[in-house]
Amino acid sequence: MIAEADLVDQLKNQRTQSQAFEVLVNTYKQRLYWHIRSIVLNHDDADDVLQNTFIKVYRNIAGFKGDSKLYSWMYRIATNEALSFLKKKSKKQGISDSELQNQLLGNLEADVYFEGDEIQLKLQKAIATLPEKQKLVFNMKYFQELKYEEISDILETSVGGLKASYHLAVKKLEVILKEN
Amino acid sequence: MKEFNKNKPFKTPEDYFEGFNDRLMERISKEPSSIPKEDGFVVPENYFETLQESITKKLTAEETKVVTLKPYRKFYYAAASIAAVFLVIFGLQWNSVDEPTFEDLANSDIDAYFENNEFGLSMYEIGEVIPVHELEINDILENRFEENQVLDYLNENIEDYEALNLDDE
Repeated sequence: MIAEADLVDQLKNQRTQSQAFEVLVNTYKQRLYWHIRSIVLNHDDADDVLQNTFIKVYRNIAGFKGDSKLYSWMYRIATNEALSFLKKKSKKQGISDSELQNQLLGNLEADVYFEGDEIQLKLQKAIATLPEKQKLVFNMKYFQELKYEEISDILETSVGGLKASYHLAVKKLEVILKEN
Repeated sequence: MKEFNKNKPFKTPEDYFEGFNDRLMERISKEPSSIPKEDGFVVPENYFETLQESITKKLTAEETKVVTLKPYRKFYYAAASIAAVFLVIFGLQWNSVDEPTFEDLANSDIDAYFENNEFGLSMYEIGEVIPVHELEINDILENRFEENQVLDYLNENIEDYEALNLDDE
């Protein structure tokens, strides 16, 4: 696999840009997709946000200073894109964020790209009750299996705070799942 | 941690308390959980194989209408200032212009415009560029209130109206 710094250099060089961008997309498309999908839930929306994320990365790579890792930077863009996508969607429909969340969860049952069983559906409903930060941390740690250090880099939060958020989230989810 | 040790003869291994949190967290994470390990989401067949092509298409299509992003705060201030100037100008000419202009816009259209367009400005930032201190209450209100209407309102809604000590002027 190509070193991240070399990839960034190639992305900034017009001569090598398009080839490097292809490598970038192929390297990160799945990881970013599943991260976005865990936020927007629906495949079409995830596809839309994922494409916008890569386009934003492509257009702004010249401004990437390398203070953080490339993938943390992309994850951050993906997170912001997904969250603002949901905000715009609820605004467009004239409903609150939680009403939109309920609508998205309701749609999951009929979604052909959701093959979860009853427990998995309950889990999604339970995750929706968590505060935004806990929701992100839980998905990133539990399903995407990112390390605390990586999540800390992406969300710009201390590792200690993330550990606390994650364990709180897990406890809440277990209680909800056991209740039902 | 020694200050809590009242049971003098007992000791703990070196660094026992320092590493306690990590060991506890590790054990918690190993405990069997009722949370399923799969989330149930799937993607359409060949989705990832065709993604590159879709992005390239979208990128090429957007290439013609690229507007360089300038993340300068000054730019937002300038945009908001221009918007504020327009609002004031239209506001002043509100009743004197015959041409169908600002007046024809329904308030809901204006509200929707501000609602749906992300200016990236907080209420405080907007407050900084709009000369609020130069505005009169009647510039903001849709209908002008006559003095006697205000007095009637106060009379009906304020319990101790006389105590307000309003004179006739």
